[in-house]
Amino acid sequence: MFIHRSSCISPQHTFGNVDMDTCVIPENNILKVIEPKYAGIPLNILRRMGKAVRLGVGAALPLLTGSEKPDGVIIGSANGGMEDCVKFLNQIIEYEEGRLTPTNFVQSTPNAIAAQIGLTTSNTGFNITHIHRGLAFENALLNAIIMLRENKNASYLVGGVDEVSSYNYNLERLDGWYKKEKVTGTDLYDSSTEGSIAGEGSAMFIVGNRREGSFMEVRGIRMLHTDDPFEVSTQLREFIAEHGYHDAFLSGENGDVRIQSFYNSCENILDPEIVKLHFKHFTGEHPSTTALALWLAVRFIETQQIPEHFIKGPAISKPLKNILIYNTGKGEQHSFLSLSFVDH
Amino acid sequence: MGRVVVTGMGVISALGDSVLSNHDALVKGTCGISKGDLVRSKYTDNLLFGEVKIENERFKSLFNTKNPGVTRTSLLALHAIEEAIKDSGLDNTQLSTYDTALIGASTVGGMCQTDELYNDAKSETTGSVYMASYDCASVTLFLRERFGIKGVINTINTACSSSANAIMYGAQLIQNGFAKRAIVGGVDSLAKFTINGFNSLGILSPGYCKPFDKDRNGLNLGEGAAFMVLEREEDVKGKKYYCSVAGYCNANDAFHPSSLSENGEGPYQAMKGALQKANLLPSSIGFINTHGTGTENNDEVESKAMIRIFENVPPFASSKSKIGHTLGASAAVEAVFSILALHHGEVYPGLNFSNCIESTMLIPVRNTENKKLDHVMSNSFGFGGNCTSLIFSKD
Repeated sequence: MFIHRSSCISPQHTFGNVDMDTCVIPENNILKVIEPKYAGIPLNILRRMGKAVRLGVGAALPLLTGSEKPDGVIIGSANGGMEDCVKFLNQIIEYEEGRLTPTNFVQSTPNAIAAQIGLTTSNTGFNITHIHRGLAFENALLNAIIMLRENKNASYLVGGVDEVSSYNYNLERLDGWYKKEKVTGTDLYDSSTEGSIAGEGSAMFIVGNRREGSFMEVRGIRMLHTDDPFEVSTQLREFIAEHGYHDAFLSGENGDVRIQSFYNSCENILDPEIVKLHFKHFTGEHPSTTALALWLAVRFIETQQIPEHFIKGPAISKPLKNILIYNTGKGEQHSFLSLSFVDH
Repeated sequence: MGRVVVTGMGVISALGDSVLSNHDALVKGTCGISKGDLVRSKYTDNLLFGEVKIENERFKSLFNTKNPGVTRTSLLALHAIEEAIKDSGLDNTQLSTYDTALIGASTVGGMCQTDELYNDAKSETTGSVYMASYDCASVTLFLRERFGIKGVINTINTACSSSANAIMYGAQLIQNGFAKRAIVGGVDSLAKFTINGFNSLGILSPGYCKPFDKDRNGLNLGEGAAFMVLEREEDVKGKKYYCSVAGYCNANDAFHPSSLSENGEGPYQAMKGALQKANLLPSSIGFINTHGTGTENNDEVESKAMIRIFENVPPFASSKSKIGHTLGASAAVEAVFSILALHHGEVYPGLNFSNCIESTMLIPVRNTENKKLDHVMSNSFGFGGNCTSLIFSKD
């Protein structure tokens, strides 16, 4: 599967005028997105959209402007329209199940992002939303690979979106997934405490079987559910054997001491000269960060410019062509992604 | 790659807690809809529901689960998946290989604990036992852990067509070599959240829902779960199977967030695409399990879309007149009903029908009849224009 176009709204300057060198610093350990002006969305519709829907439609629209229309929309989002969900929930309890307005209810369904993209662009093709927590976006990618095997000439919009809502932020906070001490950037990786920093974002891709016009091929994807770091590294070894050499390893490490062992056990089986990269100081932690990591990998390969703050070591000595992404959702859900530069 | 076949099924609905009891009720034309006994809502006493009359505590002792954070949604799902696995004869070794996939679907997930969620979302200091159980993925993860399943695990939400897409995704995983077998299905339990949601849209019927009737006035909410075991035909030589998953198609109506377009473009594309995938002419479909919610909008649009595709619309009925609209579970529960029809050569009636919709003049099946069936279609349409049709074939 080849990636043809990509777009990303994140807490950093990734949309419009991209600037990867400056890092926006988290505020109270939350990295909130820099929302664009959403020029393509009519104001009356924009007003009714929840944040996750805005982020999804906003990142997707720049990819859907040409005459080329994808054959479907495939979204991964663990928390979908949770902001609206909680608004509707508040109405139920506070008005004691009285007369309620349905807008928040309709927008609260996790499929609202994919649906709204379909509606906004009059796309009557395949339309689906994967919500499997830390593997929602990975399942969306696998779904795109499958749809492209069954429909050789098709192209799909595939993306991952998650928001920081009052609902999921508070639940994650109570459950101990955010650090108590202040994080200001890459010091995240020096931490020896539990938890990470919160983040949100949306990354969208146009994918197809056509090699022309693409810089990046998705060679393989593997998902895993286990709480055993050894099983993860064993599976990674198999995955690498199947997909060949990688010259960079983009790791989802997030400074949480409880799950660092997964990242360590994977790094330990890699050749020492493989360049280790990390990105969670840039995106924060949320269930769909792999979508943002994929956007970063596309950017790295296309521009061959990788700002220092992403590099863990060793220094880059030659152009990067094959990137391996590993990420875990809370040490329970894991994914490997193998990516290759497309030579023309 | 050969066909994908259904080797096991499990279901729990307002009609019964097994495939056998659901089948008996379908043949008898029983209605499972009643006043709410267990669901807690202001509307429990004055609305009708397709409720499963088994309390959570009974499920918990049945399954010997000590996990305090387990929700009704997970318990219903566990009940159905256990039956499906047993029915297919999958052993623990098969379940725990990297080749076995588990695809769940739900729209309510753990939000059946509506009040607890409200409190946890606001709490400053401590959370309830349900903290990790509110999302829909929690249900699939609970089942995964219980059975030690190691292949592709996923949870899908396309509103009321969610579990149709779980069935489709499972079949696709097998057909494209990402799994040897897939356990697929969906679940939803009655919740204050959805009762108020559908009530705010004004589409809950004050009485029994009347799918395809001229005077239909809304839907009854229901709850339930169904799972099916899908395997490759070449792997099940000598083992019983019910049918093959012959066709599927997912399309979007792209018209409105909560209602279907007048001509039913999404439903039309879904049905047409499923026929194409199965390589079948419309005339080979012997029965359609319609989405048939009993709302003003759905039944007329679905009828029009059927008329557009079928020169002679085949016998059809709505299962929702018997179990209510089970939302994320509905496509899986009704897939089981469709497969029972196919397997036993029967068509089951839609209840509470008196007069045709004037613009379409279609009459649903009104009595259980024996009928030779080779192919059945099942429709599921959801908010966000998410339409999916499935076709099951006998041989």
